[in-house]
Amino acid sequence: MSAEQNLEDMSGLRLSEFVDGKLHLVLNNTMRAVSDGRREIQRHCALRSYDAKVINRLEIIFEELVSNTIRHGFTAHSNQSISVFAADRPGLIALTLEDDGVPFDPLTIPEPEPFTSIETARIGGLGISLVRKLSAGLRYERLTGSDTPQRGFRPCNRIEVLIAA
Amino acid sequence: MEMQLSDVGAVRKIVLAGRLDTIGVDHVETKFGAAIVPGGKNTVVDLTEVSFLASMGIRMLISTTRALSRKGAKLAIFGAMPQVMEVIETTALDDIIPVATSESEAIAIVTG
Repeated sequence: MSAEQNLEDMSGLRLSEFVDGKLHLVLNNTMRAVSDGRREIQRHCALRSYDAKVINRLEIIFEELVSNTIRHGFTAHSNQSISVFAADRPGLIALTLEDDGVPFDPLTIPEPEPFTSIETARIGGLGISLVRKLSAGLRYERLTGSDTPQRGFRPCNRIEVLIAA
Repeated sequence: MEMQLSDVGAVRKIVLAGRLDTIGVDHVETKFGAAIVPGGKNTVVDLTEVSFLASMGIRMLISTTRALSRKGAKLAIFGAMPQVMEVIETTALDDIIPVATSESEAIAIVTG
């Protein structure tokens, strides 16, 4: 098996732990991270009393942000990774994603034009628009190397999304 | 992601089951388009067994409906469960693809 095949076949999940009241996942640079990470999120939600609508919003936001980072933010077959934290706050769930991909601020992405006809409907940018519309708050920071000793001082994106619980 | 195909009179019916997420769409998209577009028939898509819809699923529905529309036929969807309906309404997909509550209503829309 070639090194490339090996990377394609690798698990999406590098680490899953529960520390200081937060779920912490580290996801590999593979589309399998979306489904492997989602299963951990579902397991986490099953231990709590979130309703189906909240879990669905959490899953959509996770899916859109993780798949977007792997598709557009990472170099194919690199060892880059995404750290995911999920924590309860009063009336909210905070989902935080940190990745060492190219700088990407979802707040700067323009809303897609409203649909007017099937012929002219644009299909780009729908994922980030969904994240914004389904969340109760969204914050972005570009962390400099001095903020990320755990990542070998590489600059990172940090996106925090709040979901009404 | 599973897909079943049948005809109800002159209308093509597609039943989808599973998750229309990145991986589910990757598995079903080619088959979905091939079942609908070349025949050029009015089509209804049953989402009753679809438990999750993300942007990749919305893209698949738009691109297939557009390709079918260029052949002069219509597509309607029906049976969306509440969490799938929330995504349809949030993205305003129902502004460009008719959404029905039942198969008979969807057939009436595409044949009307």
